Amino acid sequence: MLLNYDRMGGLQWVLVFITVLVSLFLILPVVFIIALSFGSSQWLVFPPPGWTLRWYQEFFADPRWMAAFWTSAKIAVLVMIFTTALALITSFALVRGRFRGREILRAAFLTPMILPVVVVAVALYAFFLKIGLNGTMTGFVVAHMVLALPFAIIPISAALAGFDKSTEDAAIVCGASPWEARLRITLPSIRHGLFAAMVFSFLISWDEVIIAIFMASPSLQTMPVRIWSSLRQDLSPVIAAASSLLILLTLVLMLLAALLRKKAN
Amino acid sequence: MSAAQTRRERRQGIGLAIPAMLVLAVFFVMPVVSLLLRSITEPEFGLQNYATLIATSTYAKVFWNTFMVASVVTVITIILGYPVAWMLSVLPGRWAAVVFAVILLSMWTNLLARTYAWMVLLQSTGVINRSLMALGIIDTPLPLINNLTGVTIGMVYIMLPFFILPLQATFRTIDPSTLQAASLCGAGRWQAFRRVLLPLSLTGVLSGGLIVFVMSLGYFVTPALLGGTSNMMLAEMIAQLVQSLLNWGLGGAAAFVLLVMTLALYAMQVRYFGAPGQEKS
Repeated sequence: MLLNYDRMGGLQWVLVFITVLVSLFLILPVVFIIALSFGSSQWLVFPPPGWTLRWYQEFFADPRWMAAFWTSAKIAVLVMIFTTALALITSFALVRGRFRGREILRAAFLTPMILPVVVVAVALYAFFLKIGLNGTMTGFVVAHMVLALPFAIIPISAALAGFDKSTEDAAIVCGASPWEARLRITLPSIRHGLFAAMVFSFLISWDEVIIAIFMASPSLQTMPVRIWSSLRQDLSPVIAAASSLLILLTLVLMLLAALLRKKAN
Repeated sequence: MSAAQTRRERRQGIGLAIPAMLVLAVFFVMPVVSLLLRSITEPEFGLQNYATLIATSTYAKVFWNTFMVASVVTVITIILGYPVAWMLSVLPGRWAAVVFAVILLSMWTNLLARTYAWMVLLQSTGVINRSLMALGIIDTPLPLINNLTGVTIGMVYIMLPFFILPLQATFRTIDPSTLQAASLCGAGRWQAFRRVLLPLSLTGVLSGGLIVFVMSLGYFVTPALLGGTSNMMLAEMIAQLVQSLLNWGLGGAAAFVLLVMTLALYAMQVRYFGAPGQEKS
């Protein structure tokens, strides 16, 4: 009947039709950008009259784009390391702790995820103006950590909750110190949660626009800030090249995550 | 377990949460609270900033735009997303995996890259207008960008995955045999849909719709790039009040309004549907 694909009758084709349309709607802009980045038309004519690598050459030859690229990469790696470490110890507290108000604390840790980013951005901007962290690497990393923390806590605490603590206890009974047991038994067992947390926190920082627009200074810009300010001037195909590179990175990370999950099963 | 040990564990548990608590207290709670305080203390103590927000027609228009766009986006997302979520739960494995991959890829593609794609696609010399003109459907390019139509298209595009993925999880919890039962009892397709499938999936629809609405209210990037200067939405207004006009009092007040709306809707979400991300099964 309605939940059996082979027995839906005519309805099946209506639903398949809508699903195909929505899937095309979702995927075509991504394909479109990649096609334009290789297209030879300055004015973004589609389909492109010819193919070229010119926009990538311009991207890699422009010191401002390159500086933005490395700034983004540095910030994202730092955010990934600090956020995952912080989320790991916090998850131990949230999953293993037996203190009063644990559930309230968990909800509190997840609030940066629900608040509109623009509110956080404006608030941090005001605060950083006062203490002189605006336009600094530290400011960027701290601000992105606040945003990324919930997304790292969720997978790690889920993995930790699914891990049978008696394995760790067994190691301690067999003579391991508590920290040794955590390091050598628990951490490897929750590595998928840790990996997910690393991917999420990296991508959140790498893709983040709004806070970055406020934190950026002329000498310290991330890729999204650079794309944002170029977009406000014109729709140059170099932006398509830059966007395609961002998409490529996402693809690589997603495939890597999928492969690791497959290997784990 | 001895009492001393229990106490020790309790202390240990809280200790590990302290670094994150400090980070969030200093870099999240304090800045947000002090921003909200500025809304009632600048330029002087009182509620005049909130009065200005309500009384000025420019700001009223921004609130109206924001609500309108968020509502329309939510409705369209539900209409387009519902069949896809439904299909995802019944499609043969291979095809379901393809649709899944498409949704995830779109969702994880950089937001600016996707918005850039729509800026190019929707412009008057863009592919959509050119094709429609080539087909003879229209004579002059449709105004698809720098207005609320563009914002709506771009936002629906961004929001669809956030609606489809949780709803799809709801569909998976529905036992197909309930529908078999309906059919055995003589229900036709329409009746089975309206009286069994729709009610069973309604929580997912409402919860997903609420998420989309809340996210749309505070969205910044897509409205700012696709909406043009005369169709501002709330998030962009807050940014502008603070960054270009340096009006921290008014900016703080607008931020507070957005914050209260978001938290109220989120509380509703938690109250009726449970916290998002924790699938009820």
